[in-house]
Amino acid sequence: MSAPVIRADGLSKVYGHDRGVADLTFEVGEGEVFGYLGPNGAGKTTTIRLLLDLIRPSSGRIELFGSDVRRAGPAARRSLGYLPGDLRLYERLTAREHLRYFASLRGMRDIGDGEALAGRLELELDRPVRSLSKGNRQKVGLVQALMHRPALAVFDEPTSGLDPLVQQVVYELVAEATADGRTVFVSSHVLSEVQHIADRVALIREGRLQLVDSVETLRRRALTRVEVTFATPPPEGAFGHVPGVHEVERRGSVVRLTLEGSADPLVKALGQFEVEALDSHEADLEDVFLEQYRRPADAR
Amino acid sequence: MLGSVFAKSLRDLRRSFVGWSLGLAGYVALIVAVYPTIRDNPDLNKLVESYPEALKAFIAFGGQADFTSAAGYLGSELFAFMIPALFLVASVGNGAGAIAGEEERGTLDLLLSFPRSRTRIALEKLAAMCAEVVGLGVVLWLALWIGARIFGMHVSAAHLGSAVAVLVALAIAYGAIAFMLAAGTGRKTLAVGLTVALAVSAYLVNSLAALVDALEPFRKLSPFYHYVAGDPLREGLDPWHTLFLVALGLVAAVAGVLLFARRDVAP
Repeated sequence: MSAPVIRADGLSKVYGHDRGVADLTFEVGEGEVFGYLGPNGAGKTTTIRLLLDLIRPSSGRIELFGSDVRRAGPAARRSLGYLPGDLRLYERLTAREHLRYFASLRGMRDIGDGEALAGRLELELDRPVRSLSKGNRQKVGLVQALMHRPALAVFDEPTSGLDPLVQQVVYELVAEATADGRTVFVSSHVLSEVQHIADRVALIREGRLQLVDSVETLRRRALTRVEVTFATPPPEGAFGHVPGVHEVERRGSVVRLTLEGSADPLVKALGQFEVEALDSHEADLEDVFLEQYRRPADAR
Repeated sequence: MLGSVFAKSLRDLRRSFVGWSLGLAGYVALIVAVYPTIRDNPDLNKLVESYPEALKAFIAFGGQADFTSAAGYLGSELFAFMIPALFLVASVGNGAGAIAGEEERGTLDLLLSFPRSRTRIALEKLAAMCAEVVGLGVVLWLALWIGARIFGMHVSAAHLGSAVAVLVALAIAYGAIAFMLAAGTGRKTLAVGLTVALAVSAYLVNSLAALVDALEPFRKLSPFYHYVAGDPLREGLDPWHTLFLVALGLVAAVAGVLLFARRDVAP
């Protein structure tokens, strides 16, 4: 098997106090969509900027396509597309002029897939960027990051400022990229954004990786949430003894529970009461993450 | 116009170039048009001769201050202060903005994500800065040459060219110093402030050295000394003084590129 597309090994960046990242170790394989999650200020952008050689590690190393980003220099970025989290463009240029400029910096003769991508995102290429909304600017960023069909696309909060319909197009573009065997590294502070597109996710918090796991595994660990509306409020602690069941909240005759494992004991226990409504759904991975957030950062 | 960082940088400078060119040409036209009146006024020259040495040192552009010869007049009115001040404003602004401008506006992250080395990007931006200063030099030279012919000034195109060449070398040297400070720190305003402070000090050291003996040993370190010492409007280009300015620019440029290649870029 070839070298991982991204490999971080003991990667640390110290700045100020409290900021930066510490001892990051992870790998992203070819063709994978890797979700990089964490609250704002956790170190997501710092990691990406280390990956792009915009800042240099205090210790540890980070490799792109098997070579150290610092030592390989521009060659490491040859097949990379980058969408910055805080995208700034040249106010005097149109979207098309941006694409032409960036294409020439990549040594392309034309704007590659730029035209087609802009069409799918409904981006007008000939308007000056200063007249574009935040969402449309973000589209310029997406198009330039994908127009050369990069082997690795690095997206820092890609759907920020985009309306839900366009977000959907972005997810489709990610899916198409990976169908071609390309790799996508996507950061976000909302899990729901990446849980449907990512194969694996990493959670970073206060500069440290809390977990790196496949979405599948995390989902299996997730609980089912059940909301029961009773005709009359059941006695306190009526479900405390039911295996796998945990009472989360009650409001009058509405009781919210979490369920782990088989639903049978809960169904049997509910049989004793008059149930008016029953609603259950698989918990979002959000809950798994919230669980992580609640724990102190160092208890991994 | 968007085929490289160099081309893009030139494109970014074109508006300011047009503005600077018009301003320069207008200013030169004004100064040159007044020349016949000044030349034919012997009292004015007597007045200049009666100035204290300190003042003469400030208004002379190499050699003796005089207002009747074309070289003396252009030297004092244009090359001694106003024109270098204008050229330095243009080049220091460009030099400081080359990298730090994009960094402060937040466009540098994306620019550096392309497969181009930082060294190459910095060199292309520097080249654009030099090209603008050289372009302004050509505009100045043309304006002077045309003006000199119209108003009967006895100064050759070659001597005008020599003065412009030393001026361009001085401006590029300070542009490169501003570039070094800005590309090395990422802070444009700081770089402009420091460079202006350095330029003003160097200017004063050179002008006051004629009067203050204590300054004499430092005079040859002042770029302004090398700018005026060759008396290019009368004597033509002095290779050694020009070389000093070119070397200063090169050293600053190389230092700026190295510093930029090594440091963290601000988010």
